[in-house]
Amino acid sequence: MQTKKEFRKRDFFYLLPLWLLSLIVPDADDLYSYRSKEFKRRELYYLGAVLLLPLIWSDPHFHHLMVLAGIYAILALGLSLFLGYAGQISLGHAAFFGIGAYTTAILTTHYAFPTFLAFWASATTAATAAFLIGKPILKLKGYFLALATLGFAEIFLVIVRETQTLTGGVIGIFGIPWFSIAGFSFDTYLKQYYLTWGVLLGLFLFSKNLVRSKLGRASLAVAASEDAAKSVGIDVAQIKIKVFVMSAAFAGFAGSLFACIMSTANPEAFSLGFSTLIVMMVILGGMGNLYGPIFGSILLTYLMDILGRYQEWSLPIYGVILILLLIFFPDGIGTRVGIRLIYLIGYWAKKKKRDEGKL
Amino acid sequence: MSLLIVDEITKEYDGVRALDRISLEVEKGTIKGLMGPNGAGKSTLFHLISGMEKPDSGKIYFKGKEITSLEPNEISALGVGRTFQTVQTLGNMTVVENIMTGMHLRLKGGLISSGLWLPWIERMEKEALKEAKEILDRLGLLGRWKSPASQLPLGKQKLLEIGRAFAMKPELILLDEPASGLTPTEVEQLSERICQLKKDGITLVVVEHHMGMVMEIADEVVVLDHGKLIAEGPPDVVRGDSKVVEAYMKGSPR
Amino acid sequence: MPKNLPACTKPFGEGRFSGQVSEGGQTEDFMNLWTYLPQLLSSGITIGAIYALVALGFVTIARASQIINFAQGEFVMLGGVITFFLLKGLNLPYFLAALIAIMVVIMIGFLLQVSVVYPLRKASVLILIMATLGASIFLSSTSALVFGTLPKALPPFSGEQPLQIGGLTVVPQSVWVLGATFLLLIVLYLLSHRTLLGKAMEATSTDPLGADLLGISRNLMVFLAFGVSAGIGAFAGILITPIFFTSYNSGTLLGLKGFIAAVLGGWGKNSGAILGGFVLGIVESLSVAFIPSGYKDGVAFAILLLILYFRPKGILGSPFIDSRRW
Repeated sequence: MQTKKEFRKRDFFYLLPLWLLSLIVPDADDLYSYRSKEFKRRELYYLGAVLLLPLIWSDPHFHHLMVLAGIYAILALGLSLFLGYAGQISLGHAAFFGIGAYTTAILTTHYAFPTFLAFWASATTAATAAFLIGKPILKLKGYFLALATLGFAEIFLVIVRETQTLTGGVIGIFGIPWFSIAGFSFDTYLKQYYLTWGVLLGLFLFSKNLVRSKLGRASLAVAASEDAAKSVGIDVAQIKIKVFVMSAAFAGFAGSLFACIMSTANPEAFSLGFSTLIVMMVILGGMGNLYGPIFGSILLTYLMDILGRYQEWSLPIYGVILILLLIFFPDGIGTRVGIRLIYLIGYWAKKKKRDEGKL
Repeated sequence: MSLLIVDEITKEYDGVRALDRISLEVEKGTIKGLMGPNGAGKSTLFHLISGMEKPDSGKIYFKGKEITSLEPNEISALGVGRTFQTVQTLGNMTVVENIMTGMHLRLKGGLISSGLWLPWIERMEKEALKEAKEILDRLGLLGRWKSPASQLPLGKQKLLEIGRAFAMKPELILLDEPASGLTPTEVEQLSERICQLKKDGITLVVVEHHMGMVMEIADEVVVLDHGKLIAEGPPDVVRGDSKVVEAYMKGSPR
Repeated sequence: MPKNLPACTKPFGEGRFSGQVSEGGQTEDFMNLWTYLPQLLSSGITIGAIYALVALGFVTIARASQIINFAQGEFVMLGGVITFFLLKGLNLPYFLAALIAIMVVIMIGFLLQVSVVYPLRKASVLILIMATLGASIFLSSTSALVFGTLPKALPPFSGEQPLQIGGLTVVPQSVWVLGATFLLLIVLYLLSHRTLLGKAMEATSTDPLGADLLGISRNLMVFLAFGVSAGIGAFAGILITPIFFTSYNSGTLLGLKGFIAAVLGGWGKNSGAILGGFVLGIVESLSVAFIPSGYKDGVAFAILLLILYFRPKGILGSPFIDSRRW
């Protein structure tokens, strides 16, 4: 048995960084705190970091990446409600993202809508599409659900590519204006950063409320045991549709922001590869809590950026990394890395002590 | 007037009659035991009553209303709760949230109002949490209310499931082999809880193999064998019935 | 996704030039020309044979392991691409190149099972899907890296002169495709019903627990299933590349269509996979008479959604559909 006396200075080297890490990394086992009103101090640190970091570090490339990360985080957050909390599968969320982007693109360029209105319209169109497609599709489970969502996404792409007049076909739409509210235009990366992360914050709080509400519990119940859910009166099909529609609305918001920031919309951005990427963000970030998708999207956005420098090696490396991460971190990186490390180091330290004791 | 009426229910699977023209009635405020060797059709009957499956013929009535063709969640909404043979704990939630999920039908709140956490939602949730904790207290589970439900030992998980069904404030609860896998002490605690439920005015149908427990708690016992009803009556009468003894001696047909 | 693809890399999915056959140097468009029905049928059957083989690959693995291998299409692509490399790059004789290519792809199939599927054998459906998708990304992008991104065309097996068969103009390669497919199906049938190993694989597919109790190693069967599927896929790739170009990204779409075909015909049955493949090929081919050809790729997915909604069991019915896993 290790007593306090035996903690030598050496142990601090292992334990201090781990303790620091555990301060910042979310812990999925702490279920209750993620679904209660209690805000931990750690969360204030997060908020502070989000608000202040771009001001401290003013590299425009960093800002650009964080803007993208923010948009993907919105997308991933919505998807995590469907994937992690309701326990379903969707490989087609890129389509809802695309619907959002194209809605904003078309409304602002062809019909001179203000971006603020287009923003809400995008979420509504995406949500409506999800409602229509959800009713039949959500009866399926597992592989078939994955395949059906994939099929829907492909059809969306085919339609977009072929309807030249409305969507600009393969080339896409150009000249989408900057997002603006009451005359204030978000035209620099810094401004866009606060825009996207502001939207993310709002949706995050909304999600946090949802998750600890009756709907959140019903959703988790459906994931845990559909039979049990039915036995307490939960309409399983309806819950799945509601969460699906909600996640699509988030994707719509994200798509709208994406269009305004990239100023263009074209079909290449919304492929199966992108759907896969978002799902990876949710998985790798950890599906047990709402910080997971945010963490995952920051991680993968950076990964994509780093890989991008390797040109044609980027995709093979990406494929390998993806597989390795899935094998070693199926629960997500953020939620387990701290705990695993602690176990590993603890085991190693104990082993050393045992060996030394024997000598 | 009987709370639950099962009228000539038949269910076949691939030519095998799991239930053959079964009829029974359950009076309000009583505990009905449902027994029989393995494969006799007890769980099938529960699935039919709770709506998870549909009978080939026959009808089921609850509070005078026909429920044969209703969906499980609709039947639950009418006031029927149940537990499962393999305990279906909602492992991705905490203990107290399991109970609160049971309160689903009694709570209000849509997508937008929940997301915005309107003041009345806050009040409602506070009340719900309080009530859930009270239920846990009565079950002796209050100490672990914040723990993930999957971390409870089996006996406590079974109690939790009963608590979840109770939280619905149903009129009828179907218990599917609640005592399986429990130690003798746990069985005794379970029996105590079930009698408490009866005192609260809830009608119960209990599928159970544990002779001792059934003798203690049941007002009336029904025995099935190979899908047929072979005995019905007070526990001590049924226990001595020669057909029942023979059925249990024979074992299941496979 | 990284937007740094070089020029000339617009996806040449199979079917891009379908309906356009070179007759003495001119190309003709079949779109909207109803009188070309028999032609459409014949090209539909040809591509249908390929879909059937890809579907068979999916079903083989799925039956042995309950896994859907999203990298199946890549096996087809690699078959064509590697053969091209061996033929044009190393100047090997056609037959030898094809044979070696098939063996290489089978090795890749084995490698995939060992390195990706086996470590994740207990993981959730979602994780498995993502892992095989990752493998698909890896294989297709590595193919681009190693063999380049230009579409490859193999020479037809026996010349380019179209044959006249009962009023139909048919490219000889189509005959090869159908003939070889038929032959392969016979070989596979014999292997699975006459050899011990084949029977063992069938046993694992039909009743995993029973087979396990008999001492048949589940892992070995899954391993073999991957090899067999890879081989079938590569075979299909070599057959089809002379008609349609193959490039690094042909695999994804082809794989998806093969999967759709398997579901269409009746998920989990070999006969369903084959039937579904031909039906899908024909319907897809005929669809250009009714809708603008750009939508052609969407036809398969529309069929998928219809099938999943109205009859998930598929045409011939499925032994798997009612169980929870699916």
